[in-house]
Amino acid sequence: MRLTRLWSVLGDALGNLRRGGWGGLAAVGAITVSSLILGILWLLAVNLQAILSDWKGQFEVVVFLRDDITADQRELLRRRLQAEAAVAAVHYTSKEEALALFKRDLRGQASLLEGLGENPLPASFQLRIREEHQTGPGMRAFVTSLERLEGVEEVLYGHEWVDQIGRLVSVLHAAGWVVGTILGAAAVFIVANTIRLAVYARADEIEILRLVGATRGYIRAPFILEGLLQGLLGAALALLLLFAGYRFLVWRLGLAPAGLLALGAGRFLEPLQVAGLLVAGAVLGGMGSLLSVRRFLKA
Amino acid sequence: MIQLFRVHKTFGKDVEALTDVSLDIRKGEFVFLTGSSGAGKTTLLRLIFRDLLPTSGQILVAGRNVVRLRERQVPALRRMVGVIFQDFKLLMDRTVAENLHVVARALGTPEAAARRKIGYLLRQVGLLHRANQTPYRISGGEQQRVAIARALMNDPLILMADEPTGNLDAELAADVLRLLREVNARGTTILLATHNATLVKEQAKRTVVLKGGRIVEDNGA
Repeated sequence: MRLTRLWSVLGDALGNLRRGGWGGLAAVGAITVSSLILGILWLLAVNLQAILSDWKGQFEVVVFLRDDITADQRELLRRRLQAEAAVAAVHYTSKEEALALFKRDLRGQASLLEGLGENPLPASFQLRIREEHQTGPGMRAFVTSLERLEGVEEVLYGHEWVDQIGRLVSVLHAAGWVVGTILGAAAVFIVANTIRLAVYARADEIEILRLVGATRGYIRAPFILEGLLQGLLGAALALLLLFAGYRFLVWRLGLAPAGLLALGAGRFLEPLQVAGLLVAGAVLGGMGSLLSVRRFLKA
Repeated sequence: MIQLFRVHKTFGKDVEALTDVSLDIRKGEFVFLTGSSGAGKTTLLRLIFRDLLPTSGQILVAGRNVVRLRERQVPALRRMVGVIFQDFKLLMDRTVAENLHVVARALGTPEAAARRKIGYLLRQVGLLHRANQTPYRISGGEQQRVAIARALMNDPLILMADEPTGNLDAELAADVLRLLREVNARGTTILLATHNATLVKEQAKRTVVLKGGRIVEDNGA
């Protein structure tokens, strides 16, 4: 296709888009809404996935020690723990260090510490777990075995959380597919309807083009392109809204209590995912117009 | 140039529009196709530029078998045939020049050549001064001449006109005919459908008369 031809087709498509008015706006809006909802689900999944792998990297089992444990018992326990295949590293935190950390975390809220009296915090070993051992059943067995060791008060591990977030991510993925399919289909039909109106509006011109021997492709191209542009525009608009919403949320969370800051380090979609969403919008729009042109444009 | 062999065309189950029509129009001929309304004139024209397919029979246009043409070969046929309609079919929201330009673009004519051609054709039909006006602002006769200019944009081998003078008074009709004779003189085959008997008599050209879908008279065959 020569460049001038490309420009003329693009000009036609843009002209149609402009003449389309409210109908075109509805089509763009439909694509925007579906892309936006998809984008939100996707963004949630991406961020939860990120948190999940973050947690997996630093996944810890905390072994709290009884206050009456002797230094020998503690040393024995440490060696015992280091010998475990699942354990990547062992770190000891004494009662004093635990208190210091606690105070640091609660900086500015010193009043909470006032009634504390004697240090109530236990000493503990923090175990970093090798990733290949971070499976639900395996961890539960491991933790149970640790609880039986001498000098151990309690064993905590965050695997329930990891499992739950993992489940949430899969639910989000599934929801994304279901919602995406439904909204996508709706958007395709709205675009198809807009293009149908555009075809009717230009019926005279199409008739003349057919009579003078314009090819089918020449007659159809502007309509297909119009649908593609509607889709692209809708997806771009959705991304803009998504990004604005994301930045707003990060800003709001930045002001929120420290505990929520774990989410504040969130991330936006990767460039490739952004491109994917744009392409998806364009494809939806193109499909809509193709559907309409095939049905209503018997050229 | 145009050959029809035993062409039948039926609409629906029992509406016989054309019955056993055979016709041979040679290159460069000027042929009138006459008959009352409903005699099948328009159907015959539409068969030739493959707006319709015959129920049976064969049609050859410039050596191509129109009936056997594939869908994607139809544009090539239509580029050899110019068609002028009674109702002109002009785009009312474009200027006269733009109405011609639409065709140039569809055929992929380079811009400079398209402009030259539009200027040339508008001068020929005497409408250069109307180039930038919309069809609303010009008279019926002028609109008809725009339609003729547009039909000539693709240098057709065959120019077909369906009642080109139907909406015009006698003087304007004579103008349009003079124009078509000029086109014919440059070698274009012309097939003109009309029920205007006076017009046909004045011109003394080959005349094919249709009645009830059959050819009942052909003074040139």
